Amino acid sequence: MAHQADAKRALDERGYTGALIRGDNPLKLFEKPVRDRIVDSYYWKEQCFGLNAATLLDRAVELSFIGGTYGVAQKPTPFLCLAFKLLQITPGREIIMFYLEQEEYKYLRALAAFYIRLAWEKDEDVYKTLEPYLNDMRKLKRRTREGWALTYMDQFIDDLLINTRVCATTLPKINPRLFLEDEDRLEPRESALGEELEEMENEDEDAGSEGEVEEVANGDAARNGRSISEQRERSEER
Amino acid sequence: MGDRKAGAYGTSTGGDTAFRKTWDRDEYAAKAVERDQRIKEEGKARHEAAAAGKKYVRRASTPPDARDTEARKARLNVADQVGKTSIVPAGAGQGKRGKGAGFYCDACDLTFKDNLQFVEHLNSKQHLVATGESGEVRRATLEEVKDRFEWLKRKRDEETAKDAVDLGTRIENAREIEEKEREEKRRKRNEKRRKTKDGMGVPEVKVENDGNIF
Ligand SMILES: [Zn+2]
Repeated sequence: MAHQADAKRALDERGYTGALIRGDNPLKLFEKPVRDRIVDSYYWKEQCFGLNAATLLDRAVELSFIGGTYGVAQKPTPFLCLAFKLLQITPGREIIMFYLEQEEYKYLRALAAFYIRLAWEKDEDVYKTLEPYLNDMRKLKRRTREGWALTYMDQFIDDLLINTRVCATTLPKINPRLFLEDEDRLEPRESALGEELEEMENEDEDAGSEGEVEEVANGDAARNGRSISEQRERSEER
Repeated sequence: MGDRKAGAYGTSTGGDTAFRKTWDRDEYAAKAVERDQRIKEEGKARHEAAAAGKKYVRRASTPPDARDTEARKARLNVADQVGKTSIVPAGAGQGKRGKGAGFYCDACDLTFKDNLQFVEHLNSKQHLVATGESGEVRRATLEEVKDRFEWLKRKRDEETAKDAVDLGTRIENAREIEEKEREEKRRKRNEKRRKTKDGMGVPEVKVENDGNIF
Protein backbone atom coordinates (compact mmCIF):
# COMPACT_ATOMS: atom_id res chain seq x y z
CA MET A 1 0.00 0.00 0.00
CA ALA A 2 2.97 2.26 0.31
CA HIS A 3 3.84 4.62 -2.47
CA GLN A 4 7.13 5.90 -3.80
CA ALA A 5 8.46 9.09 -2.31
CA ASP A 6 8.61 10.74 -5.71
CA ALA A 7 6.46 10.25 -8.77
CA LYS A 8 9.07 8.94 -11.17
CA ARG A 9 7.89 5.39 -11.16
CA ALA A 10 4.23 6.34 -11.03
CA LEU A 11 4.75 8.45 -14.13
CA ASP A 12 6.48 5.65 -15.93
CA GLU A 13 3.51 4.41 -17.89
CA ARG A 14 4.97 1.03 -18.73
CA GLY A 15 4.78 -0.50 -15.30
CA TYR A 16 2.15 1.41 -13.35
CA THR A 17 0.61 -0.81 -10.68
CA GLY A 18 -0.92 1.73 -8.29
CA ALA A 19 -4.52 2.66 -7.62
CA LEU A 20 -6.68 3.41 -10.64
CA ILE A 21 -9.12 6.25 -11.11
CA ARG A 22 -11.49 5.95 -14.02
CA GLY A 23 -9.51 2.91 -15.08
CA ASP A 24 -6.29 4.79 -15.45
CA ASN A 25 -3.28 6.12 -13.60
CA PRO A 26 -4.69 9.06 -11.57
CA LEU A 27 -1.68 11.22 -12.34
CA LYS A 28 -2.81 11.28 -15.94
CA LEU A 29 -5.78 13.42 -14.94
CA PHE A 30 -3.28 16.24 -15.28
CA GLU A 31 -2.13 16.95 -18.78
CA LYS A 32 1.39 16.00 -19.72
CA PRO A 33 2.84 19.55 -19.93
CA VAL A 34 1.41 20.36 -16.51
CA ARG A 35 2.71 17.09 -15.08
CA ASP A 36 6.14 17.86 -16.42
CA ARG A 37 6.12 21.35 -14.95
CA ILE A 38 5.04 20.00 -11.57
CA VAL A 39 7.68 17.29 -11.23
CA ASP A 40 10.29 19.73 -12.47
CA SER A 41 9.35 22.43 -9.97
CA TYR A 42 11.42 23.14 -6.93
CA TYR A 43 8.37 23.07 -4.69
CA TRP A 44 7.60 19.55 -5.81
CA LYS A 45 11.14 18.32 -5.32
CA GLU A 46 11.71 19.96 -2.00
CA GLN A 47 8.30 20.06 -0.38
CA CYS A 48 6.31 17.18 -1.83
CA PHE A 49 8.87 14.41 -1.61
CA GLY A 50 7.86 11.64 0.77
CA LEU A 51 4.53 13.12 1.85
CA ASN A 52 1.70 10.89 2.97
CA ALA A 53 -1.87 11.90 3.76
CA ALA A 54 -0.85 13.03 7.25
CA THR A 55 2.34 14.94 6.48
CA LEU A 56 0.70 16.54 3.46
CA LEU A 57 -1.26 18.55 6.01
CA ASP A 58 1.95 20.34 7.00
CA ARG A 59 2.05 21.84 3.54
CA ALA A 60 -1.68 22.23 3.01
CA VAL A 61 -2.17 24.36 6.12
CA GLU A 62 0.42 26.74 4.72
CA LEU A 63 -1.39 27.25 1.44
CA SER A 64 -2.44 30.85 0.96
CA PHE A 65 -3.91 30.74 -2.52
CA ILE A 66 -5.37 28.44 -5.13
CA GLY A 67 -4.53 28.39 -8.82
CA GLY A 68 -3.08 26.41 -11.68
CA THR A 69 0.03 27.66 -13.37
CA TYR A 70 1.36 31.19 -13.56
CA GLY A 71 3.92 33.42 -15.17
CA VAL A 72 5.64 33.13 -18.49
CA ALA A 73 7.17 29.82 -17.43
CA GLN A 74 3.73 28.57 -16.33
CA LYS A 75 5.02 27.62 -12.94
CA PRO A 76 2.67 25.35 -11.01
CA THR A 77 1.20 26.69 -7.76
CA PRO A 78 1.78 24.78 -4.51
CA PHE A 79 -1.98 24.13 -4.61
CA LEU A 80 -1.63 22.31 -7.92
CA CYS A 81 1.45 20.40 -6.75
CA LEU A 82 -0.37 19.19 -3.64
CA ALA A 83 -3.39 18.15 -5.71
CA PHE A 84 -1.00 16.15 -7.87
CA LYS A 85 0.49 14.58 -4.76
CA LEU A 86 -2.98 13.63 -3.59
CA LEU A 87 -3.59 11.91 -6.90
CA GLN A 88 -0.39 9.98 -6.33
CA ILE A 89 -1.29 9.02 -2.77
CA THR A 90 -5.02 8.44 -3.47
CA PRO A 91 -6.00 8.66 0.20
CA GLY A 92 -9.09 6.87 1.41
CA ARG A 93 -12.45 8.55 1.12
CA GLU A 94 -12.67 9.16 4.86
CA ILE A 95 -9.41 11.09 4.81
CA ILE A 96 -10.52 13.28 1.92
CA MET A 97 -13.80 13.89 3.75
CA PHE A 98 -11.85 14.92 6.82
CA TYR A 99 -9.90 17.45 4.74
CA LEU A 100 -13.14 18.74 3.29
CA GLU A 101 -15.17 18.94 6.47
CA GLN A 102 -12.64 20.64 8.74
CA GLU A 103 -13.28 24.34 9.18
CA GLU A 104 -9.88 25.66 10.19
CA TYR A 105 -8.01 25.77 6.91
CA LYS A 106 -10.01 26.93 3.93
CA TYR A 107 -7.35 26.15 1.37
CA LEU A 108 -7.26 22.57 2.59
CA ARG A 109 -10.99 22.43 1.99
CA ALA A 110 -10.54 23.85 -1.49
CA LEU A 111 -7.84 21.26 -2.17
CA ALA A 112 -10.12 18.43 -1.08
CA ALA A 113 -12.95 19.78 -3.22
CA PHE A 114 -10.68 19.93 -6.25
CA TYR A 115 -9.51 16.38 -5.61
CA ILE A 116 -13.05 15.08 -5.20
CA ARG A 117 -14.11 16.63 -8.49
CA LEU A 118 -11.12 15.03 -10.19
CA ALA A 119 -11.05 11.63 -8.56
CA TRP A 120 -14.54 10.61 -7.55
CA GLU A 121 -16.21 8.64 -10.23
CA LYS A 122 -19.90 8.90 -9.38
CA ASP A 123 -21.44 12.17 -10.52
CA GLU A 124 -24.10 12.18 -7.83
CA ASP A 125 -21.44 11.68 -5.14
CA VAL A 126 -19.57 14.70 -6.40
CA TYR A 127 -22.69 16.89 -6.33
CA LYS A 128 -23.88 15.65 -2.97
CA THR A 129 -20.49 16.05 -1.37
CA LEU A 130 -19.56 19.42 -2.78
CA GLU A 131 -22.86 21.28 -2.88
CA PRO A 132 -23.09 21.86 0.89
CA TYR A 133 -20.01 24.06 0.56
CA LEU A 134 -21.88 26.43 -1.71
CA ASN A 135 -22.73 27.98 1.65
CA ASP A 136 -19.11 28.69 2.45
CA MET A 137 -18.57 32.31 1.46
CA ARG A 138 -15.02 32.67 2.65
CA LYS A 139 -12.65 34.55 0.41
CA LEU A 140 -10.00 32.69 -1.55
CA LYS A 141 -6.99 34.21 -3.19
CA ARG A 142 -6.37 32.87 -6.67
CA ARG A 143 -3.16 33.08 -8.59
CA THR A 144 -3.95 33.68 -12.24
CA ARG A 145 -1.71 33.42 -15.27
CA GLU A 146 -0.80 37.09 -15.01
CA GLY A 147 -1.53 38.09 -11.47
CA TRP A 148 -4.00 37.67 -8.66
CA ALA A 149 -7.76 37.47 -8.34
CA LEU A 150 -10.22 37.25 -5.52
CA THR A 151 -12.76 34.48 -5.43
CA TYR A 152 -14.87 32.72 -2.83
CA MET A 153 -15.23 29.14 -1.71
CA ASP A 154 -18.78 28.91 -3.05
CA GLN A 155 -17.66 30.34 -6.36
CA PHE A 156 -14.82 27.86 -6.54
CA ILE A 157 -17.18 24.96 -5.82
CA ASP A 158 -19.54 26.33 -8.44
CA ASP A 159 -16.66 26.47 -10.93
CA LEU A 160 -15.82 22.86 -10.16
CA LEU A 161 -19.39 21.75 -10.82
CA ILE A 162 -20.04 23.84 -13.90
CA ASN A 163 -16.80 24.72 -15.67
CA THR A 164 -14.77 22.30 -17.73
CA ARG A 165 -11.39 23.77 -16.85
CA VAL A 166 -10.24 24.75 -13.39
CA CYS A 167 -6.70 25.35 -12.16
CA ALA A 168 -4.92 24.42 -15.39
CA THR A 169 -6.78 21.14 -15.45
CA THR A 170 -9.48 19.80 -17.73
CA LEU A 171 -12.02 18.32 -15.35
CA PRO A 172 -13.39 14.85 -16.08
CA LYS A 173 -16.80 14.87 -17.71
CA ILE A 174 -19.69 15.19 -15.30
CA ASN A 175 -23.38 15.10 -16.13
CA PRO A 176 -25.29 18.32 -15.47
CA ARG A 177 -27.30 18.34 -12.31
CA LEU A 178 -30.61 18.58 -14.17
CA PHE A 179 -29.80 15.49 -16.17
CA LEU A 180 -29.13 13.54 -12.96
CA GLU A 181 -32.38 14.83 -11.52
CA ASP A 182 -34.25 13.63 -14.58
CA GLU A 183 -32.60 10.26 -14.21
CA ASP A 184 -33.68 10.18 -10.55
CA ARG A 185 -30.08 9.96 -9.50
CA LEU A 186 -30.29 13.23 -7.61
CA GLU A 187 -33.01 14.96 -5.64
CA PRO A 188 -33.60 18.56 -6.65
CA ARG A 189 -31.35 20.72 -4.57
CA GLU A 190 -32.88 22.64 -1.75
CA SER A 191 -30.42 25.30 -0.87
CA ALA A 192 -30.82 27.26 2.30
CA LEU A 193 -29.50 30.16 0.33
CA GLY A 194 -32.20 29.77 -2.27
CA GLU A 195 -34.89 30.05 0.34
CA GLU A 196 -33.21 33.03 1.82
CA LEU A 197 -33.03 34.59 -1.58
CA GLU A 198 -36.73 34.04 -2.12
CA GLU A 199 -37.48 35.64 1.21
CA MET A 200 -35.36 38.59 0.33
CA GLU A 201 -37.10 38.98 -2.96
CA ASN A 202 -40.40 39.07 -1.14
CA GLU A 203 -39.03 41.67 1.20
CA ASP A 204 -37.84 43.68 -1.75
CA GLU A 205 -41.30 43.59 -3.22
CA ASP A 206 -42.76 44.78 0.05
CA ALA A 207 -40.34 47.64 0.12
CA GLY A 208 -41.56 48.75 -3.28
CA SER A 209 -39.31 50.45 -5.76
CA GLU A 210 -36.67 51.33 -3.20
CA GLY A 211 -35.25 47.83 -3.21
CA GLU A 212 -34.85 47.82 -6.93
CA VAL A 213 -32.97 51.09 -6.96
CA GLU A 214 -30.60 49.70 -4.37
CA GLU A 215 -30.06 46.60 -6.39
CA VAL A 216 -29.16 48.54 -9.48
CA ALA A 217 -26.84 50.72 -7.48
CA ASN A 218 -24.99 47.74 -6.08
CA GLY A 219 -25.23 45.64 -9.18
CA ASP A 220 -22.08 44.75 -11.01
CA ALA A 221 -22.37 44.76 -14.76
CA ALA A 222 -19.28 42.63 -15.04
CA ARG A 223 -20.90 39.79 -13.12
CA ASN A 224 -21.29 36.73 -15.21
CA GLY A 225 -24.88 36.39 -14.11
CA ARG A 226 -24.43 32.99 -12.54
CA SER A 227 -26.81 32.28 -9.76
CA ILE A 228 -24.15 31.72 -7.14
CA SER A 229 -22.48 35.05 -7.60
CA GLU A 230 -25.81 36.79 -7.54
CA GLN A 231 -26.86 35.00 -4.44
CA ARG A 232 -23.71 35.94 -2.65
CA GLU A 233 -23.91 39.50 -3.79
CA ARG A 234 -27.33 39.76 -2.33
CA SER A 235 -26.56 38.03 0.90
CA GLU A 236 -23.62 40.35 1.37
CA GLU A 237 -25.91 43.31 0.93
CA ARG A 238 -27.88 42.26 3.93
CA MET B 1 19.75 22.90 -17.32
CA GLY B 2 18.62 20.91 -20.32
CA ASP B 3 20.39 17.74 -19.39
CA ARG B 4 18.93 17.80 -15.91
CA LYS B 5 15.40 18.18 -17.21
CA ALA B 6 15.55 14.99 -19.21
CA GLY B 7 16.48 12.93 -16.19
CA ALA B 8 14.01 14.50 -13.80
CA TYR B 9 10.97 13.09 -15.55
CA GLY B 10 12.34 9.61 -15.75
CA THR B 11 11.65 9.74 -19.46
CA SER B 12 15.21 9.71 -20.63
CA THR B 13 16.05 6.35 -22.07
CA GLY B 14 19.66 5.43 -21.34
CA GLY B 15 21.22 5.77 -17.91
CA ASP B 16 18.19 6.49 -15.81
CA THR B 17 16.29 3.34 -16.61
CA ALA B 18 19.39 1.20 -16.44
CA PHE B 19 20.11 2.61 -13.02
CA ARG B 20 16.63 1.79 -11.82
CA LYS B 21 16.95 -1.78 -13.04
CA THR B 22 20.13 -2.34 -11.11
CA TRP B 23 18.50 -0.80 -8.14
CA ASP B 24 15.51 -3.10 -8.41
CA ARG B 25 17.74 -6.13 -8.64
CA ASP B 26 19.73 -5.09 -5.59
CA GLU B 27 16.56 -4.30 -3.77
CA TYR B 28 15.03 -7.68 -4.53
CA ALA B 29 18.20 -9.43 -3.47
CA ALA B 30 18.24 -7.48 -0.23
CA LYS B 31 14.58 -8.21 0.36
CA ALA B 32 15.06 -11.92 -0.24
CA VAL B 33 17.85 -12.04 2.31
CA GLU B 34 15.73 -10.10 4.73
CA ARG B 35 12.81 -12.44 4.22
CA ASP B 36 14.91 -15.54 4.81
CA GLN B 37 16.30 -13.98 7.93
CA ARG B 38 12.85 -13.15 9.19
CA ILE B 39 11.50 -16.63 8.54
CA LYS B 40 14.46 -18.11 10.35
CA GLU B 41 14.00 -15.81 13.32
CA GLU B 42 10.31 -16.40 13.43
CA GLY B 43 10.80 -20.16 13.37
CA LYS B 44 13.23 -19.90 16.22
CA ALA B 45 10.89 -17.72 18.27
CA ARG B 46 8.02 -20.07 17.57
CA HIS B 47 10.12 -23.02 18.68
CA GLU B 48 11.21 -21.29 21.86
CA ALA B 49 7.67 -20.28 22.67
CA ALA B 50 6.46 -23.83 22.21
CA ALA B 51 9.28 -25.12 24.40
CA ALA B 52 8.24 -22.69 27.13
CA GLY B 53 4.62 -23.82 26.75
CA LYS B 54 3.50 -20.46 25.37
CA LYS B 55 1.68 -19.51 22.24
CA TYR B 56 3.78 -17.67 19.70
CA VAL B 57 2.32 -14.33 18.74
CA ARG B 58 3.87 -12.60 15.81
CA ARG B 59 4.62 -8.96 16.34
CA ALA B 60 2.13 -6.69 14.66
CA SER B 61 4.73 -5.11 12.47
CA THR B 62 8.18 -6.45 11.95
CA PRO B 63 10.38 -3.45 11.46
CA PRO B 64 12.23 -3.87 8.19
CA ASP B 65 15.86 -3.00 7.90
CA ALA B 66 15.14 0.00 5.76
CA ARG B 67 13.24 2.90 7.23
CA ASP B 68 10.28 4.31 5.38
CA THR B 69 11.03 7.46 3.52
CA GLU B 70 9.47 10.45 5.18
CA ALA B 71 8.74 13.96 4.14
CA ARG B 72 11.23 16.64 5.03
CA LYS B 73 10.60 18.01 8.47
CA ALA B 74 11.19 21.55 7.40
CA ARG B 75 12.17 23.52 4.39
CA LEU B 76 15.74 22.94 3.46
CA ASN B 77 17.73 25.87 4.64
CA VAL B 78 18.30 27.15 1.17
CA ALA B 79 15.20 29.28 0.83
CA ASP B 80 17.17 32.39 -0.02
CA GLN B 81 18.75 30.60 -2.92
CA VAL B 82 15.55 29.32 -4.47
CA GLY B 83 15.47 30.04 -8.15
CA LYS B 84 19.12 30.97 -8.26
CA THR B 85 20.17 27.90 -10.13
CA SER B 86 23.31 28.61 -12.02
CA ILE B 87 24.14 26.99 -15.29
CA VAL B 88 26.54 24.18 -14.64
CA PRO B 89 28.40 21.96 -17.07
CA ALA B 90 26.91 18.59 -17.93
CA GLY B 91 27.65 15.94 -15.40
CA ALA B 92 27.96 18.41 -12.56
CA GLY B 93 24.69 17.06 -11.21
CA GLN B 94 26.61 14.03 -10.03
CA GLY B 95 28.18 16.06 -7.27
CA LYS B 96 31.79 16.41 -6.39
CA ARG B 97 33.45 13.97 -4.04
CA GLY B 98 34.29 15.49 -0.69
CA LYS B 99 33.51 18.72 1.06
CA GLY B 100 33.62 21.85 -1.01
CA ALA B 101 31.91 25.10 -1.72
CA GLY B 102 28.18 24.45 -2.10
CA PHE B 103 25.75 22.00 -0.58
CA TYR B 104 27.37 19.08 1.13
CA CYS B 105 25.75 15.70 1.75
CA ASP B 106 27.32 14.10 4.75
CA ALA B 107 25.95 10.63 4.10
CA CYS B 108 27.33 10.42 0.58
CA ASP B 109 30.32 12.73 0.97
CA LEU B 110 29.29 14.73 -2.06
CA THR B 111 29.08 18.44 -2.70
CA PHE B 112 26.54 20.05 -5.01
CA LYS B 113 26.70 23.39 -6.66
CA ASP B 114 23.20 24.56 -5.93
CA ASN B 115 20.13 23.78 -3.90
CA LEU B 116 18.26 22.28 -6.82
CA GLN B 117 20.95 19.70 -7.49
CA PHE B 118 21.20 19.12 -3.77
CA VAL B 119 17.47 18.43 -3.45
CA GLU B 120 17.54 16.18 -6.47
CA HIS B 121 20.35 14.27 -4.85
CA LEU B 122 18.44 13.95 -1.57
CA ASN B 123 15.57 12.45 -3.55
CA SER B 124 17.78 10.07 -5.48
CA LYS B 125 18.05 6.34 -5.00
CA GLN B 126 21.75 6.77 -4.44
CA HIS B 127 21.12 8.95 -1.41
CA LEU B 128 18.24 6.84 -0.11
CA VAL B 129 20.40 3.73 -0.23
CA ALA B 130 23.22 5.57 1.53
CA THR B 131 20.89 6.64 4.32
CA GLY B 132 19.16 3.28 4.58
CA GLU B 133 15.79 4.44 3.35
CA SER B 134 13.48 2.35 1.26
CA GLY B 135 12.13 5.16 -0.90
CA GLU B 136 8.69 3.93 0.01
CA VAL B 137 6.29 6.08 1.94
CA ARG B 138 4.02 4.47 4.45
CA ARG B 139 0.32 5.18 4.04
CA ALA B 140 -1.20 7.27 6.78
CA THR B 141 -4.34 6.17 8.59
CA LEU B 142 -7.28 8.45 9.28
CA GLU B 143 -6.21 8.48 12.93
CA GLU B 144 -2.77 9.74 11.98
CA VAL B 145 -4.28 12.37 9.74
CA LYS B 146 -6.47 13.59 12.58
CA ASP B 147 -3.59 13.60 15.06
CA ARG B 148 -1.42 15.53 12.66
CA PHE B 149 -4.21 18.02 12.08
CA GLU B 150 -4.70 18.58 15.81
CA TRP B 151 -0.96 19.00 16.28
CA LEU B 152 -0.76 21.58 13.49
CA LYS B 153 -3.70 23.45 14.93
CA ARG B 154 -2.14 23.45 18.37
CA LYS B 155 1.14 24.63 16.94
CA ARG B 156 -0.56 27.46 15.11
CA ASP B 157 -2.51 28.50 18.20
CA GLU B 158 0.61 28.45 20.32
CA GLU B 159 2.44 30.56 17.81
CA THR B 160 -0.41 33.03 17.69
CA ALA B 161 -0.45 33.18 21.48
CA LYS B 162 3.31 33.62 21.57
CA ASP B 163 3.11 36.40 19.03
CA ALA B 164 0.48 38.06 21.17
CA VAL B 165 2.71 37.71 24.23
CA ASP B 166 5.66 39.01 22.26
CA LEU B 167 3.63 41.97 21.16
CA GLY B 168 2.47 42.51 24.75
CA THR B 169 6.06 42.32 25.98
CA ARG B 170 7.21 44.70 23.32
CA ILE B 171 4.53 47.19 24.25
CA GLU B 172 5.40 46.76 27.92
CA ASN B 173 9.11 47.30 27.22
CA ALA B 174 8.41 50.34 25.10
CA ARG B 175 6.29 51.73 27.87
CA GLU B 176 9.06 51.18 30.42
CA ILE B 177 11.64 52.83 28.23
CA GLU B 178 9.33 55.74 27.61
CA GLU B 179 8.68 56.04 31.32
CA LYS B 180 12.41 56.06 32.08
CA GLU B 181 13.04 58.70 29.46
CA ARG B 182 10.26 60.80 30.87
CA GLU B 183 11.72 60.45 34.36
CA GLU B 184 15.14 61.46 33.12
CA LYS B 185 13.70 64.50 31.44
CA ARG B 186 11.83 65.43 34.59
CA ARG B 187 14.99 65.08 36.64
CA LYS B 188 16.98 67.29 34.29
CA ARG B 189 14.23 69.85 34.20
CA ASN B 190 14.06 69.96 37.97
CA GLU B 191 17.81 70.26 38.21
CA LYS B 192 17.80 73.14 35.79
CA ARG B 193 15.03 74.81 37.68
CA ARG B 194 16.93 74.47 40.94
CA LYS B 195 20.02 75.97 39.38
CA THR B 196 18.25 78.98 38.05
CA LYS B 197 16.26 79.47 41.25
CA ASP B 198 19.07 80.12 43.66
CA GLY B 199 21.50 81.30 40.98
CA MET B 200 24.35 80.03 43.10
CA GLY B 201 26.59 78.75 40.37
CA VAL B 202 26.93 75.02 39.72
CA PRO B 203 26.17 72.77 42.67
CA GLU B 204 27.89 69.73 41.21
CA VAL B 205 31.21 71.50 41.02
CA LYS B 206 30.88 72.43 44.63
CA VAL B 207 30.18 68.90 45.63
CA GLU B 208 33.07 67.70 43.57
CA ASN B 209 35.45 70.16 45.13
CA ASP B 210 34.26 69.26 48.54
CA GLY B 211 34.69 65.62 47.93
CA ASN B 212 38.17 65.85 46.54
CA ILE B 213 40.98 66.15 48.97
CA PHE B 214 44.22 67.06 47.32
ZN1 LIG C 1 23.46 11.88 -0.11
